[in-house]
Amino acid sequence: MHIEDYPQLASIETIQKGFESVGYICSESIATAVFLAFQLRKPVLVEGPPGVGKTELAKTTAHLLDAPLVRLQCYEGLDEGKALYEWKYSKQLLYTQVLKEKLGDLLHGANDLAESVERLHQFGDIFYSEEFLEPRPLLRAMRSERGAVLLIDEVDKSDYEFEALLLEILSDYQVSIPEIGTVKARTTPMVFLTSNNTRDISDALKRRCLHLYIPFPSVELEQRIVLARVPDVDARLREQLVAFVHGLRDMDLKKVPAISETIDWARSLLLLHADQLDEALVRATLNVLLKFEDDMRAAEAELPRLLAGNTD
Amino acid sequence: MHQSLASFVEILRSHNLRISPAETMDAARAAQALGYANRSRLRDGLCMTLAKTPDERATFLRCFDQFYNREVADFSSTASERENSPESTDAGAPGSQAGGAGDAQPGALQEAAQGDPRIAQLLQSTLMQALMNNDRNLLSLSISQASQRAGIAQIRIFTQKGQYSRRILAALGEEDLRAGIVTLERAQSPALDELRRYRDILREQVRDFVDAQYLLHAQGRNQRLVEDMLARTRLSNIEHAYLQRLEELVRRMAKKLAARYAPRRRRYNRGQLDMRRTLSRGVANDGLMFDLRWRRMRRERPQLFAICDVSGSVAPYAKFLLMFLYSLQDVLPKVRSFAFSNRLGEVTQLFNDYPVEQAIELANQLYGGATDYGAAFEDFARLALEDVRSGATVIILGDARNNHGDPKLEILQKIYRRANRVIWLNPESRNSWKTGDSEMLRYLSACHFSAECNNLRQLERVIEQILRNAR
Repeated sequence: MHIEDYPQLASIETIQKGFESVGYICSESIATAVFLAFQLRKPVLVEGPPGVGKTELAKTTAHLLDAPLVRLQCYEGLDEGKALYEWKYSKQLLYTQVLKEKLGDLLHGANDLAESVERLHQFGDIFYSEEFLEPRPLLRAMRSERGAVLLIDEVDKSDYEFEALLLEILSDYQVSIPEIGTVKARTTPMVFLTSNNTRDISDALKRRCLHLYIPFPSVELEQRIVLARVPDVDARLREQLVAFVHGLRDMDLKKVPAISETIDWARSLLLLHADQLDEALVRATLNVLLKFEDDMRAAEAELPRLLAGNTD
Repeated sequence: MHQSLASFVEILRSHNLRISPAETMDAARAAQALGYANRSRLRDGLCMTLAKTPDERATFLRCFDQFYNREVADFSSTASERENSPESTDAGAPGSQAGGAGDAQPGALQEAAQGDPRIAQLLQSTLMQALMNNDRNLLSLSISQASQRAGIAQIRIFTQKGQYSRRILAALGEEDLRAGIVTLERAQSPALDELRRYRDILREQVRDFVDAQYLLHAQGRNQRLVEDMLARTRLSNIEHAYLQRLEELVRRMAKKLAARYAPRRRRYNRGQLDMRRTLSRGVANDGLMFDLRWRRMRRERPQLFAICDVSGSVAPYAKFLLMFLYSLQDVLPKVRSFAFSNRLGEVTQLFNDYPVEQAIELANQLYGGATDYGAAFEDFARLALEDVRSGATVIILGDARNNHGDPKLEILQKIYRRANRVIWLNPESRNSWKTGDSEMLRYLSACHFSAECNNLRQLERVIEQILRNAR
């Protein structure tokens, strides 16, 4: 990817504005990360609590660049056969069958074994060739003509072995296929890796990436996010609900509500035609925000305090 | 700027950040792409390339502020006659303490200069120009250049601060300033106070600068020195004041060990057929699929049972051993922890529910007392013997001093037969194992491995060995 091709990424301000125009409100540090990723051609490892828009960042970037998004969801046991490439075995098998049948014709007239082998060598070896190669997400991203946005989601769920596989791709944007050779990326893809920190990522992988940590947004930023996503919500209600969510995040909960939950809540309140928060309303809709019974009980006990904080 | 980035990286390294040359190069490229004009952007960019964990991020931000905040404090209010620079009105800047600005005669220095060529020469020097014009950038630049000549990066201990301040002042040419003061004193010039004040400002700035540099260059290194020492001291001798530091150290150790101990996967030789892999194997054999592949994988997750003596005789160690147990349980998936003295109980849940200090205290409270290994083993057999299977590792931390009671060796032997490994870590030195009421020699017969373990380094080495062999 080159700067000339993507004026959307020319500066941090343009990126921020561009993201905003497609409904992704981001802090400056996020825009800086995207800018640097593009300038230095390095992957970005995005970390942060669930639901702050890590995956969304990659999607938005793809949308902004109008480039294809190639997504690879990681899980335990993911291997190169599913992530990188695979041979089309059934076709290869058929090919051997066909070859066997044709072999007689091809070798017809050969006097001895040496000559047969000689003739055999004259055919191109297409058994392990691109024609029988089944590209998986990683290879697809590399072969994309106009560059792609590659999202390697939840890389912490994969095994250490898989991480090692990523190293070559992330540092040199190339893949080694033993039977063929090295496939280099036609255009360097933008790579995002996300992690929820279920385990430590290896140092080698971290070293190759820019490291972006997305925290929960500030009150002001979150209000802008709600405004962008659910524009019909009344301004006062918006302020109240964001303040309420921030109050919840300060509590010691099993799972604190994320941005996506704030947005869901704003939508639900909109459907209920609410124009301001009151206890009954919050009680009725709390299950949108909180996903655990214990959390709900803890929050309900604190409701008056949380709502009082609103009116101040 | 590249030079200063390199020294910044050096400082980060001294604060325990591991930064490779490749990352330094990335940081340089990032700085280039972002420019140096916007500080917060530069900070974000460098942070992304250099700091890779939340802890490192915090350290980075602290160091960045210290390092790139070389700008000298505003001292305009004392530079009486030149009030024309716009930023000079900053109220409450530290430099203003030099105080009493108003009483100097404006232009007195200039007058003095006209009378004395030496003073005139002094006023022409870069240093005096910077001071008189309240040019903070120029002054901070000269100070940092002078400090480089003075080798400030070598500062190690705080008693060196005075020495480095003097060296920097000398490199700045403070000598001329002092000579000027002496001249004015002799002449009893009205400009004397003003020149003195400039000298004081300069000294103060240099002192502040050296303070900041000390924090930057030496603190991290000294911390490492302390940690090194802590790791080698007998656990019973470590003072309470270092507990916090120790806890951090123990945690890091446990984490390092756990990373190496990450669960491995192994293929089962039965279960559901993995058609894809079988086919791909078969291609080489003309499509004959005799090399079968299976889908099911087994996760290798060896169990760990840790039994810790918390009785009076090992009280000084128990705290650390429990702390280690706590950390280990935090980072390894399958650890069950037990504490005992005259009876034994499981503390796994306790460790999960409470923060470390509280958990250790509770464990001590619940199970502290006089030692009775026999009873403790009986309790263990009742609680967990069933769960000890092949592949399990049992670690016992204790001094094996049983107050001449029944050692119940047969239970340990039972454990020994069931478990993959039984390991005994004894805080007493090997020589005292055969003395007094120690049952260590008898228990040894039912251990795969035993070691003396009374400081952190030994503990780490032993655990590492255990984990390596557990594979």
